[in-house]
Amino acid sequence: MGLASTPTSGPAAEPAVVSAVSPNWVTTRLDFLVNWARSNSMWPMPFGTACCAIEFMATAASRYDIARFGMERMSFSPRQADVLLCAGRLPFKLAPVIRRIYDQMPQPKWVISMGACASTGGIFDNYAMVQGIDTVVPVDVYVPGCPPRPEGLLYGILLLQKKVRGETLADRSIRVEQTLDERGLRLPPERIDEISEPFGNSVHQTRSA
Amino acid sequence: MTESPAAQAGATHPSVEALREAFGDTVTRATVSCGDTIVYVDASRIRDVLAWLKDTPGQDYNYLVDITAVEYRDVERPIEVVYNLLSLERKQPLRVKAELPKDGPLEIDSVVVLWRGANWLEREVYDMFGIRFRDHPDLRRILMWETYAEGYPLRKSFPLRGRFSRSEQMRQALNANPEAHYSMEELSIAEAYHNIPADMRDRLARGERAKIPEPPSETGGE
Ligand code: SF4
Repeated sequence: MGLASTPTSGPAAEPAVVSAVSPNWVTTRLDFLVNWARSNSMWPMPFGTACCAIEFMATAASRYDIARFGMERMSFSPRQADVLLCAGRLPFKLAPVIRRIYDQMPQPKWVISMGACASTGGIFDNYAMVQGIDTVVPVDVYVPGCPPRPEGLLYGILLLQKKVRGETLADRSIRVEQTLDERGLRLPPERIDEISEPFGNSVHQTRSA
Repeated sequence: MTESPAAQAGATHPSVEALREAFGDTVTRATVSCGDTIVYVDASRIRDVLAWLKDTPGQDYNYLVDITAVEYRDVERPIEVVYNLLSLERKQPLRVKAELPKDGPLEIDSVVVLWRGANWLEREVYDMFGIRFRDHPDLRRILMWETYAEGYPLRKSFPLRGRFSRSEQMRQALNANPEAHYSMEELSIAEAYHNIPADMRDRLARGERAKIPEPPSETGGE
């Protein structure tokens, strides 16, 4: 389970010195309140493209019930969503679509990459498949598995909530909109090539390659 | 694909016999594989043969189940275009194959005039194998995006991961216009033409197609 690092500011900070520079008592209390509200009412935008979406549905259904974590309201409009949940593999043809959906989501927004395919391309190391959605949109939590069990996804969601609770209003940089560069890429080409390198079993895929 | 005596015996399928009578040497050979009768016909007459199979009383292969193609690993073997037919009344399937040698032009007559449903099936074969269908009304890529420039993915000469680097593939993908894959007739919103935003209507009316911008520097390219 991967969790990209964020600056942490504990809500446990007691009213020590109210200094002019952030973070201070007021901002940490405010952070605590805002993050409590945000982390417990995240509306997911399900971007279900393949078999992982079935497991996501199981997670949303009554047995596993992500409503327990404040996510029961699926937001099928990106404009009302907080979390983009990419459940399934992403072909290149869908890359501009998920990017547009991500761009349409208002801040604050987070991304969960569910499953091996969304995170790395999975078993589909071929001409049609994006090798990890982090080459298209920034990802907060990677959930491994093919597909991840509902418990795995729930753990990923809990990790995201933990990450949200660690955010602070004093750090404006985490809410800056990350746009594509003038080439239309999110990452430098060398990074994309590096991320997309074959690994594991797919290095043996040499048939007519 | 060994032609066992049993397979030869199975080749006495009534439709095969009738085809041989009607078309003579156009029917090059016939076999049975896993219980399915396969007829090989001369690619230049494929439309006549399929029209005959569709319209002749007693044959009535009126349903075109699928069109696909096969390229074998043996480089000598020609590419086969495969037509799976079914007679809905008689509940009889028949598979017709046409061979296209790799050194010749990969071209064959379109059968859209016989079955309108062949339109997308032939586009898919064109998209994946690069086989051109003569007289096809709208021969464009269907699965890959229209500006896809790496070749035909199901050909044996096509590298599994594509020809371009991953970053170039990503650049082309992210610069694609997702709306430009469709023509007006294909869109379910065709009847809502007058209600859609003016700029989109404009683009659709012009039949605008996607265009991938050139990379800004020489490092961004292939
Ligand atoms: S990770 Fe596995 S279950 Fe999920 S989309 Fe990929 S193949 Fe399907």
